[in-house]
Amino acid sequence: MSLLDIAHIDTAYGAISVNRDVSLSVGEGEIATILGPNGAGKTTLLRAICGVVKPKRGAILVSGRDMTRLPPDKLAKAGVVMVPEGRRIFADLTVRENLRLGAYAREDREAIEADIRRMEYYFPVLAQKRDQKGGALSGGQQQMLAIARGLMARPRLLLLDEPSLGLSPLMVKEVQSVIADLRKNFGAAVLLVEQNASLALAVAERGYLMQSGRIVAANAIAELRDSRLMRDLYLGAGKSRLGEAAAPN
Amino acid sequence: MEIFLQQLINSLSVASVIILIGIGITLIFGLTGIINFAHGEFLMIGGMTTWLVVSHGGGFLLGAAAAVAVVGALGFVLERSLFRLTLDRPMNGFIISLGLIVVLQHVVIRFWNSYQKAIPQPLASVWEIGGVRIVAMRAAVVLITAVVVAITFFAISRSRYGLALRASVADQETAALMGVPVRRYITGVFIYGSALAGLGGAMMIALFPITPFIGSVIVVRGFAVALIGGLGNVAGAVLAGLVLGLMDGLSAGYGLPEWTEAYSFALMILILLLRPQGLLGGTAGPKAI
Repeated sequence: MSLLDIAHIDTAYGAISVNRDVSLSVGEGEIATILGPNGAGKTTLLRAICGVVKPKRGAILVSGRDMTRLPPDKLAKAGVVMVPEGRRIFADLTVRENLRLGAYAREDREAIEADIRRMEYYFPVLAQKRDQKGGALSGGQQQMLAIARGLMARPRLLLLDEPSLGLSPLMVKEVQSVIADLRKNFGAAVLLVEQNASLALAVAERGYLMQSGRIVAANAIAELRDSRLMRDLYLGAGKSRLGEAAAPN
Repeated sequence: MEIFLQQLINSLSVASVIILIGIGITLIFGLTGIINFAHGEFLMIGGMTTWLVVSHGGGFLLGAAAAVAVVGALGFVLERSLFRLTLDRPMNGFIISLGLIVVLQHVVIRFWNSYQKAIPQPLASVWEIGGVRIVAMRAAVVLITAVVVAITFFAISRSRYGLALRASVADQETAALMGVPVRRYITGVFIYGSALAGLGGAMMIALFPITPFIGSVIVVRGFAVALIGGLGNVAGAVLAGLVLGLMDGLSAGYGLPEWTEAYSFALMILILLLRPQGLLGGTAGPKAI
């Protein structure tokens, strides 16, 4: 039994089927990634795990407990929190209010202020901007705030959807080091969906390769990186993208 | 000057009732995108509940408490049974609310009748301060509304629930991802908005006799206030209510009183031409995704 087990999940938007028979698991403190071309169904799978999309079939277990088809706030309470694509910062709330909202599902209210200070220690820019509106932050700062807001829930599993999207190469590097340290600093496992393959391959320990809504390969990241399937399916189609992403590093 | 002050307090008491309605309309719209046109009928039912309690020998305070409870419960039931089903398509909620106007009016007329109902003035005294005659009940209505508005503001801007409400108005899905039970907030806002309409109804019948048809007159003004202030913006609704109240007072005192309504609607048109987003800016309703 892992922290997260999903078994034979099918998802669909109306009549259009997205994921088919997807099974995967993430262990306690593990960093896993789902790789695959655009439109493979990675984001939809994340949205199904955190309860935004209701799966047509299959089961989602958190520490062995069946959480299939429960709403997102129940998953957040159980420690499964998503940092959504595009960051989705509350633009009219201050940085501190954004952080405080991240802790909404927690029972231990006394510890929230201490955790806010902790986030400000790990993400110094959030301390500088604490009373500014979220909308006034730059893209990279918003991504830090989005991750910190997710961490305020003290998640056991953080789902990260395209955290490097639209960021400068320098910020991408910073996001990468933040993700790599999530387990050490916050004890959270991570399931990462990322277009920037070099980032995902650098931080993850385990990888799932998704194509047309199905998992076509699952392995330790080192083996997956060198596998022929990976080259054919993903890097072959996205060679130039990998090249671009690698160049500034 | 005395006459002006007298007019001002009179119009502020009416504005208070409108503000209570406007807050409900604007809160419900902000969170669900539903424009609830039956909100005026909620007020009417609040007034009728107060009348029933008072005419059966209960005091006004008991009547007002009953109005708040009955209309709050009505909001809860209607949200759970009807409006909840339209959250994906707020336009359907709006259409349902139009139907509810007819249903609620006719239920009242069927069980009682369509005649005017009145209760004895709960506070009959009239204070005279420096030549200004203040009807105590009107002052009480303004005071009660001020307290309710202050509590509402404080709750929205300072409390954990207010923070979650503001986040849900901005982006329901992300709020839910952070653990906010958005559906429960929607129910809560319906109950709170309806309870305020019930309170408004109790205060209305304390000021004037009302008929089962008062709702449509009130809701148009409540909607105007919500729109002028910026839909979804509580502070805007209060400000717009005060502006319209002042306009009423001035026009009744110095202009032609029969044109009072026209003045306020002219003001509404003018404000919306200059600031289509409302005085303090509003929301276009919750985001679809």
